[in-house]
Amino acid sequence: MGTIHLFRKPQRSFFGKLLQEFRLVAADRRSWKILLFGAINLTCTGFLLMWCSSTNSIALTAYTYLTIFDLFSLMTCLISYWVMMRKPSPAYSFGFERLEVLAVFASTVLAQLGALFILKESAERFLEQPEIHTGRLLVGTFVALSFNLFTMLSIRNKPFAYVSEAASTSWLQEHVADLSRSLCGIIPGLSSIFLPRMNPFVLIDLAGAFALCITYMLIEINNYFAVDTASAIAIALMTFGTMYPMSVYSGKVLLQTTPPHVIGQLDKLIREAGSVHVRIRRDANEQMVLAHVTNRLYTLVSTLTVQIFKDDWIRPALLSGPVAANVLNFSDHHIIPMPPLKGTDDSNPVTSTPAKPSSPPPEFSFNTPGKNVSPVILLNTQTRPYGLGLNHGHTPYSSMLNQGLGVPGIGATQGFRTGFTNIPSRYGTNNRIGQPRP
Amino acid sequence: MEEKYGGDVLAGPGGGSGGLGPVDVPSARLTKYIVLLCVTKVLKAVGLFESYDLLKVVHIVQFIFILKLGTAFFMVLFQKPFSSGKSITKRQWIKIFKHAVAGCIISLLWFFGLTLCGPLRTLLLFEHSDIVVISLLSVLFTSSGGGPAKTRGAAFFIIAVICLLLFDNDDLMAKMAEHPEGHHDSALTHMLYTAIAFLGVADHKGGVLLLVLALCCKVGFHTASRKLSIDVGGTKRLQALSHIVSVLLLCPWVIVLSVTTESKVESWFSLIMPFTTVIFFVMILDFYVDSICSVKMEVSKCARYGSFPIFISALLFGNFWTHPITDQLRAINKAAHQESTEHVLSGGVVVSAIFFILSANILSSPSKRGQKGTLIGYSPEGTPLYNFMGDAFQHSSQSIPRFIKESLKQILEENDSRQIFYFLCLNLLFTFVELFYGVLTNSLGLISDGFHMLFDCSALVMGLFAALMSRWKATRIFSYGYGRIEILSGFINGLFLVVIAFFVFMESVARLIDPPELDTHMLTPVSVGGLIVNLIGICAFSHAHNHTHGASQGSCHSSDHSHSHHVHGHSDHGHGHSHGSAGRGMNANMRGVFLHVLADTLGSIGVIVSTILIEQFGWFIADPLCSLFIAILIFLSVVPLIKDACQVLLLRLPPEYEKELHIALEKLQKIEGLISYRDPHFWRHSANIVAGTIHIQVTSDVLEQRIVQQVTGILKDAGVNNLTIQVEKEAYFQHMSGLSTGFHDVLAMTKQMESMKYYKDGTYIM
Repeated sequence: MGTIHLFRKPQRSFFGKLLQEFRLVAADRRSWKILLFGAINLTCTGFLLMWCSSTNSIALTAYTYLTIFDLFSLMTCLISYWVMMRKPSPAYSFGFERLEVLAVFASTVLAQLGALFILKESAERFLEQPEIHTGRLLVGTFVALSFNLFTMLSIRNKPFAYVSEAASTSWLQEHVADLSRSLCGIIPGLSSIFLPRMNPFVLIDLAGAFALCITYMLIEINNYFAVDTASAIAIALMTFGTMYPMSVYSGKVLLQTTPPHVIGQLDKLIREAGSVHVRIRRDANEQMVLAHVTNRLYTLVSTLTVQIFKDDWIRPALLSGPVAANVLNFSDHHIIPMPPLKGTDDSNPVTSTPAKPSSPPPEFSFNTPGKNVSPVILLNTQTRPYGLGLNHGHTPYSSMLNQGLGVPGIGATQGFRTGFTNIPSRYGTNNRIGQPRP
Repeated sequence: MEEKYGGDVLAGPGGGSGGLGPVDVPSARLTKYIVLLCVTKVLKAVGLFESYDLLKVVHIVQFIFILKLGTAFFMVLFQKPFSSGKSITKRQWIKIFKHAVAGCIISLLWFFGLTLCGPLRTLLLFEHSDIVVISLLSVLFTSSGGGPAKTRGAAFFIIAVICLLLFDNDDLMAKMAEHPEGHHDSALTHMLYTAIAFLGVADHKGGVLLLVLALCCKVGFHTASRKLSIDVGGTKRLQALSHIVSVLLLCPWVIVLSVTTESKVESWFSLIMPFTTVIFFVMILDFYVDSICSVKMEVSKCARYGSFPIFISALLFGNFWTHPITDQLRAINKAAHQESTEHVLSGGVVVSAIFFILSANILSSPSKRGQKGTLIGYSPEGTPLYNFMGDAFQHSSQSIPRFIKESLKQILEENDSRQIFYFLCLNLLFTFVELFYGVLTNSLGLISDGFHMLFDCSALVMGLFAALMSRWKATRIFSYGYGRIEILSGFINGLFLVVIAFFVFMESVARLIDPPELDTHMLTPVSVGGLIVNLIGICAFSHAHNHTHGASQGSCHSSDHSHSHHVHGHSDHGHGHSHGSAGRGMNANMRGVFLHVLADTLGSIGVIVSTILIEQFGWFIADPLCSLFIAILIFLSVVPLIKDACQVLLLRLPPEYEKELHIALEKLQKIEGLISYRDPHFWRHSANIVAGTIHIQVTSDVLEQRIVQQVTGILKDAGVNNLTIQVEKEAYFQHMSGLSTGFHDVLAMTKQMESMKYYKDGTYIM
């Protein structure tokens, strides 16, 4: 355990490896369906592109890009199957779940870039509007629409389903929700159909098809060719609106941010349990603190590393005296006491608060519990109960600590810096702060 | 709802407003006011159609003068502004004078717009109540618009205006465009006409724009005059006084006008009747009914019920005005059926009328969620308490020049962002020169190339933002700092290039199948210019790159170049390669920007080469072949960037540190007191940060802090500068198993414990 196998150079060529992985995935029966859909998608896209060039319609092109996006989402689905089979390798020590996130991010960004391209093209078309042939326009629309809907509804695309639920709503969804709310105000019976959050992909498919139908109608009736450009812009904007929240969400995961739902829970846990880059006094039992901290944060963060950091390890002589004097100066830490332990035997401690069975928040990848929020700093000021395992009902410190608690959120913004770069400097400051102590 | 309402209007006073949704006040009491409002609005529409007919014969200034005169006469009669109320000070007179001037200008714009685009379009554009326009503007220009409904309303409004501009082929357009300059009646109209002609739009479109402008002016004017009306003692008194002043203002002008120009009017006597109707319907009745209704009902409701009948009646009259049915409505019968084709109903107008009705309905509805309060707590009775103040304080707006200045300072502080910024400026300059020249010479090729350059600039802008943001301080959410944004931006830039390569590829394949004839005469200078700009960029960026590379070379041991074969056959092999090794995870952002510039350069070279080939040998196939080649080159050059960015984003062990880390981990095991380690994770977070976490198991008698220091030191030497170590002793596992962890965790822990026990009992004896 723990050795890194290095210099394992790839023997096979890139394509050989790809083929091998592909075989691995294809062995699963579930992926056959996806492959089938992918093949249909490719032919469908080919036909659509042909019709795009024959009708010369940019709105249909914009709609075709949604079909291409479907292809990407199918690929993402395949990747998520592959990820499930792979174990972490030494180089990718966290495993490959993040690949799923990356795939979602890449496909949403590609869709947006396609929309950007459409915008640029339509800007050029406003200068010189070419003639649109409506021959295959409606056919193409309905082929693309039915295929998109069929794919969306028949394939359970785990990553995208997750992201579309977890990300904030797009403006398209908001408008539809608003409209349907007012509709349900008139006909209450419809509320079961309209009120739940609409799937954004289905929504954009329907809206795009609607725009294309209007285009067809207006061109047929009155030869308003500019409608084509206008609806292309509308489809591109809708694509932006739909994809943007998702790419922001997955991009935040990729940027290793602290996920927003964890923050609230972390705050709560810290209030109750004590925080995390553990800083304790010398006579505290480090291992006991560690176990408690790990236990509290374990449900939140799956790959957790807690570093215990003793305040006066470099100054063993300066001891005694109330900690509270400098406790209140640690403004960038949470100063919250650990719950006093009641157990007397180290091997059989009784926990004061049971660990919460909270749903693990995602960070590393979409539905695994977050990883790498890990290195956290715990300032533990309540020392004796741990060290001796005795129950001091009211230690002289506790009143001080309650003062510390009375100003919650002093360091709330800083407390969860997961970085660990500035430990030496913290030593320095602590020394300085610690000077007045006797 | 609307159909029902329309029925009410047509059915006259018989209809009720029972079905109009929730009404706070008992609806029966309001019914008569609503009906009154509707009838007034319909009559106002009649009056405007009438005044359009009048304006064909009467000069616009004379028309406004007569209108104001009549209104002033009636209002003085009704209001008695001089005999009633407190006396007016000199300062207030000055204000009233200003009010009158503004009012005159607005009505001038209004009626001029009426002559330009006809009564129907004027009614659609101008008859919006203040509340509609104000909420429209607040949606457009402030962030707190008030929910998606308002946004939708604003979008409908804009769509409606665009419909009028683009999809309304008004037949008068052509006719108006023919008339020679200088035939206009007065200097004023001539000036306005020239202004519209200068904008390069047709007259009726100019009228649409003019009316939108006038609408905004009107709303501003009403808002501004509110205080004055309170000072003076009521809106009605202010109006009466203002009308009198404006009559006095217009009087000399009208006299001069009627002396200098010959009138088209045969007999003023026959015009008395139409003028009276116009004055009554458009000015007086509307004003009084509006003021009554706004007292009796809410303003929003007023606007809602007022807008619908006026738009519908405008549509109806627009269709039937010249029809014999409406003959008895028309006061001027003489111009009966001769000009039935001007300003007729078209599809665009109908669509835009529908959108206007919808948007007026949405925008005038009181916003439910407009006020965003923050919950402070609960009152003793249990009702929630909100704080509505926050919004105003949050938007403490920074002044724009200062903001620009500060961000410029930030940009220029560091090398990377400065490079990108200068190059972006150069690029934009080139683009605008190109666009301007293209518009000047009316060359579509140049303009579309300019758009293409703008499209490219978006990548530069993103790179600039990333370079700026990467220097932000770490926040609570971005707990490692923003450095990783550069990598993400590099990745997106890479995807961007892939998309570009894909489109170029598709285009060139299409051209290979069917090679088009090109005219090449404009291409060469443009592409040479682009080439020069991009070459400057390449020089700057490669310099910047070497610089940063040299600075961070010490720790960067790029041991394998496994992907360098991708770049073979690359014309710019030297560049691409040096980048591949220098930027490996170093600064993906700059690499992305560089590759972008490189791709543009390749494009320019390709254009030049293919132009030469076409001109010299007539090989039209050269163009698609060149672009095919370029597409492949772009793709191949971008693959390493994407691969590296992917590796960093997937938290791979940094390849250049593999060896050191291996050695360091071996060294780790030799530390005294350390039994084993588990879960070693090392990854590159951003260009400067290599982060790591590790769990170590130690014997129970060592000092944890000493071990931590030793391990940190060793791994720091190996390049990990952001490390977290969890020191575990046997007691830890006992505690963990005691604490209520899950079954599987306990199992795993006990396994760990076993191994430690083994150590303890067997070999490891101190």
